[in-house]
Amino acid sequence: MENKIFKLIKKKEILKLLESLTKEYNIFVPIEDNGDARFSEFKSGQDIYWDYRNTKISPKEILFPQAETLFCFGPEAEVKSEEPASGGKGYLIFGIRPCDAKAISLLDKVFGGEDFEDPYYLERRKKTTVISLACNKPQIDCFCTSLNGKPDNEEGADVILFDLGEDILAGAVTKKGEKFIEKQNKWFEDAGQSDVAKKDKIMDLSLKKIKSQIDIQNIKERLDNDFTASFWDEIHQKCLGCGICTYFCPTCHCFDITDEINPKAADSKTPKGKRVRCWDSCMYPLFTLHASGHNPRPTYKERMRQRIMHKFNYCPENYSEIFCVGCGRCVRNCPVNIDLREMLISIESTK
Amino acid sequence: MIEKIKETVKKLFKENKIDIFIGYNEGTLPLRSTPCFITKPEDIEKLVWNSYCSNNLAVYLPRFFVPQQGAKDAKLPRIGILAKGCDGRSIVGLIKEHQIPRENIYIIGIHCGGMIDTKKIKKVDIVAAEEKNDKVLVEDEDKRKVELKKEELLADMCKTCQYTAPVVYDILLGKEKQKTSKEDREAFIKEFEKKPLEERWKYFQEQISKCIRCNACRQACPNCYCKECFADQTKPKWIGPTNDISDVMFYQIGRIFHQAGRCVDCGACVRACPMDVDLRVFTYKLIKDVKEFFEYEAGVSLEENPPLATFKQDDKQEFITEP
Repeated sequence: MENKIFKLIKKKEILKLLESLTKEYNIFVPIEDNGDARFSEFKSGQDIYWDYRNTKISPKEILFPQAETLFCFGPEAEVKSEEPASGGKGYLIFGIRPCDAKAISLLDKVFGGEDFEDPYYLERRKKTTVISLACNKPQIDCFCTSLNGKPDNEEGADVILFDLGEDILAGAVTKKGEKFIEKQNKWFEDAGQSDVAKKDKIMDLSLKKIKSQIDIQNIKERLDNDFTASFWDEIHQKCLGCGICTYFCPTCHCFDITDEINPKAADSKTPKGKRVRCWDSCMYPLFTLHASGHNPRPTYKERMRQRIMHKFNYCPENYSEIFCVGCGRCVRNCPVNIDLREMLISIESTK
Repeated sequence: MIEKIKETVKKLFKENKIDIFIGYNEGTLPLRSTPCFITKPEDIEKLVWNSYCSNNLAVYLPRFFVPQQGAKDAKLPRIGILAKGCDGRSIVGLIKEHQIPRENIYIIGIHCGGMIDTKKIKKVDIVAAEEKNDKVLVEDEDKRKVELKKEELLADMCKTCQYTAPVVYDILLGKEKQKTSKEDREAFIKEFEKKPLEERWKYFQEQISKCIRCNACRQACPNCYCKECFADQTKPKWIGPTNDISDVMFYQIGRIFHQAGRCVDCGACVRACPMDVDLRVFTYKLIKDVKEFFEYEAGVSLEENPPLATFKQDDKQEFITEP
């Protein structure tokens, strides 16, 4: 960080820069959508929603879409893998928040880890450049600092940007990011010391705005022996069993695979079916329903326990990382105000 | 008001009339209260009553009476519940559909002045809020305070409430609140009905395409107690799992039509929806149709037969024989 070389670019110039990259990349930027922010493909002449707090739906949907066709099949039709929609172009995820960038680095461990490689995810991921935008205005339910994050956290990003008002300060994080800036050098100018000082001041202020702090340093060890603890009987009680917390979570990655049949296929050469994978949620009873009719997680209690254990115990065990980045989406959107922070505090404080 | 509620609940526990009480606690976010389940009398002090107690608590009742749970002769719990007008109507529906035994439910009815729709104050980033009579005082990050009129923040379904208190209850607390007429409540749907078919269809598609199939609308609805929803069934599979508009539409049409003659317009689905899908325009259309065709309103009487669960010999049948 100390020796980072910063570059400066005008906000207006960024739009031109992105415009010039549309042939090379599928570019995703935050835009305003029904009063909220959402990542969407950058279109010529479109503005970026610079002041967005964070997107409602996390940008994981770019690399891990809610529904994805894996391949098509039919009696005589060739089994055909779906080409990723990029048409050979790269992916540029522009302006995602540091918590969500970190979440991508966590998804990488699942989909591109030592044990399993997910070709569909990796196909996109390998071609992806992540440009994050540091947080100037965290929300009241943001708690990234409790999970080793901060408004200018760099994990998962190739380049990190800072919004200084009129200008954007850019710093490379990875080799890929360095190359990216180098290649686009004509758009940038060297940043002065005052620009960097301005950035530091903004980041200091931003960090101070994150007031929600929970101590969960020992949560993994705590949960090691707590599978049958009594707090599980209580913390699930008001859960409605919807999928909001998991669908909105930038690190939740469970999916379901089904075959969709198209009975209207005109002839035997036309694919009669396709295999699709969709987001699934451990909060749904169907998630673990066996073909026999038995369900090992029959009630809300077991399902809530699974969600917490997966994020705060199993993932630390398997990937040495807590699978929560403190983005606050589950807290913000829960219809009955189940607050993950409160749950973790109650787990930590139960004897 | 809250003191009266606490007093009543304390009495119920003391007289051993209930095992569990379902009410509201203070939430963790401004303008939010959160459902709570009280089994220990000392937790009664934490109960709150304000204009953010918007969740329909009736949704929690059926799960206590699932027949498969526990042994055959397991003692069914006696549940006390705080019920606004709409919650009360949901409870009536559940009793009529034999999901909960009336004798096991102690209904503390409350005259409700309507609940705030926090989505109506999006422009201010609220960090704190306080309710004072008919005003709501909100504070933003820079400690700027803004005073808002509660009346202007009321949720759409609350603005024109016809049933501000439950019709079936064991005790009713509070002062009677002003009700609106059926005509006022229907006004928005009458406007919508006037639009040409293409426009209505387009609106439906627009709204439905926002849906991400998180099932929050279904899960928040007291009427959606099916052990396995048609949308989740795999044998046979009725519906694809994707978020393509055809799958989403099938899900929503199925879900909404299952509410015909049962929906009490509490708004639980609308409030739960994280994508702001305008579900009410569709559910309310069915409410209005059921009222017009069968002169029936859901959740207002324990005796009246639900029209879609009733058969009369002189019922019109042409729609079956000559579609």
